Amino acid sequence: MSQFQTIERYQPTRSTYQLLPFRFTPLDEHQYVLTNLAGEYIVLNRPSLHDLLAHRLSNVDPAYIDLRARHFLMDESAAITPTLLSLKLRTRYQRLAEFTGLHLFVVTLRCEHSCPYCQVSRRSQDTQRYDMTPEAANAALTLAFRSPSQHIKIEFQGGEPLLNFPLIQTIVLEAESRNQTLGKDLAFVIATNLALINDDILSFCRDHAILLSTSLDGPKDLHNANRPRPGGDSYERTVRGITLAREVLGHDRVSALMTTTEASLSRVHDIIDEYVAQSFNGIFLRPLSPYGFALKTRSYHAYNTERWLTFYRQGLDYIIELNRRGHDFAEYYASIILKKMFTSDDPGYVDLMSPAGIGIGAAVYNYDGSVYASDESRMLAEMGKDTFKLGHVLTHTYEDLFTSPALLDPLEESFAYSNPMCHDCAFEPYCGAEPVYHYAMHGDFVARKPESEFCRRNMETFRYLILKMENDPFAKRLFLQWANR
Amino acid sequence: MSDNMTTSTVIFDGNVFSLNAVKKAAYRHLKAFTADISIIDKQIQCVLTFPTPLSEKGRLQVENEFKKEVLDQDLREQLHVETAAVRNVILAHAFSKTGLTTDEPVSDN
Ligand code: SF4
Repeated sequence: MSQFQTIERYQPTRSTYQLLPFRFTPLDEHQYVLTNLAGEYIVLNRPSLHDLLAHRLSNVDPAYIDLRARHFLMDESAAITPTLLSLKLRTRYQRLAEFTGLHLFVVTLRCEHSCPYCQVSRRSQDTQRYDMTPEAANAALTLAFRSPSQHIKIEFQGGEPLLNFPLIQTIVLEAESRNQTLGKDLAFVIATNLALINDDILSFCRDHAILLSTSLDGPKDLHNANRPRPGGDSYERTVRGITLAREVLGHDRVSALMTTTEASLSRVHDIIDEYVAQSFNGIFLRPLSPYGFALKTRSYHAYNTERWLTFYRQGLDYIIELNRRGHDFAEYYASIILKKMFTSDDPGYVDLMSPAGIGIGAAVYNYDGSVYASDESRMLAEMGKDTFKLGHVLTHTYEDLFTSPALLDPLEESFAYSNPMCHDCAFEPYCGAEPVYHYAMHGDFVARKPESEFCRRNMETFRYLILKMENDPFAKRLFLQWANR
Repeated sequence: MSDNMTTSTVIFDGNVFSLNAVKKAAYRHLKAFTADISIIDKQIQCVLTFPTPLSEKGRLQVENEFKKEVLDQDLREQLHVETAAVRNVILAHAFSKTGLTTDEPVSDN
């Protein structure tokens, strides 16, 4: 008997395949993006999509092979597919069982800067009224350690948290002491503008493996215009602080975040160049969030999503070119999305989580002991809307806080899987529910997505990333690297 | 008479398209127009009202996008029905308390 298959075996046949659940959304004039339950995507032109749905696709069509390999259809040779999809889906949502891993401690609301767009309403530097008390900090620590998550990250925020550094020291020492018996994977971050950094603070950070996250908005003129302070030397202090901190803590123990303002929009190349000049390995090209003074001063409305998208696309193109010239540099918003596209690992970025990241991804213990479901929730509270306030560290138990209607109602209502338009959107696996944003802008947790700037911004970003990969093999290789970092 | 129009009417055959597909497509376009939807003799009639007057070309473009979306919604409905059973199996396995990733073997049928 021949050891080879007969020629008929290799003839195109009208195949009998079973469709697996997927969603599809137009990518451009002629193409669609399809995503399966596990978030894997494939791009098809319109006729191929129609053939697929009508069971007209031949099993020797290259698209067929791809669709089978990526779990969009199954035939007799791929009967294991539903099980594989289940496993991938389960891995994707694993973070939910872990629950809150990030705990933000607002140790003070005081700040020595007076940034007009500041997302936390600043208070005078002189008053002690806006500091967290040790009693509240202790209670917040107890709550943080109640989280079932094995990984507990405590991030100190402000105002400027270094203005209340003694409390940071107390919390770190107490957390380490408690963790000796709990054995959690414990990490600390201070989000600081570095203006007040000194050797004593850095020594403490080094001894307790504390990471520093600072703000760098771009070149000197832009940064200083964005961040006024007495002396007008915010940039100089930040850069000096970065250098000092790297010397003591190590290069990779200091990261930076930029805030996009009206003035940034025409300067994306300058901003990226500044990050390269300061030897950072990447940048997070962030949209301005609509909270705090940003909304009060109407600076949020000073530019629209379209202008931000242009800024973002120009920035991403520039970064791709940097990499093409041999410079290893990443864009972190794209990296988060690409991780969701190419791995089963959810990076847990609060804005891009569904169910929403509020409470699940992060909890905030405010300076006055109030507990909020996210950083944005407390910013909204500073504007007088405490819809997402879960309770108080001194008067509520862990159970009270994390089963509070202020958390569960928006979580349930905003779940993108069951929202109009998101329900059948191919980008849903990469997108988020963001009830706080939609509440701030539209007055309800869901909003009409065709009118949502959040939806528009994300949808166009997803499209842009996918089209880049479709048209530029170098960009695809680069994006895969970012996804797997 | 002005060339610019503030309303137009698009009709879908109710034997071919579901009312739900038309409604979902109209929802997706609610920034471009509001739709009054009614059924007349098995025809789904949509009266579109645009927020600002549109040229003939602009109106045709919006109508075409709407028609394409109705077709997409119709296909999504078919796909949803066809894959309902396997979707339930996948979701049940993915979110069951035991099985797949831990101790208990779970069959996939
Ligand atoms: S918000 Fe928009 S982009 Fe995101 S899943 Fe919903 S419809 Fe899709």
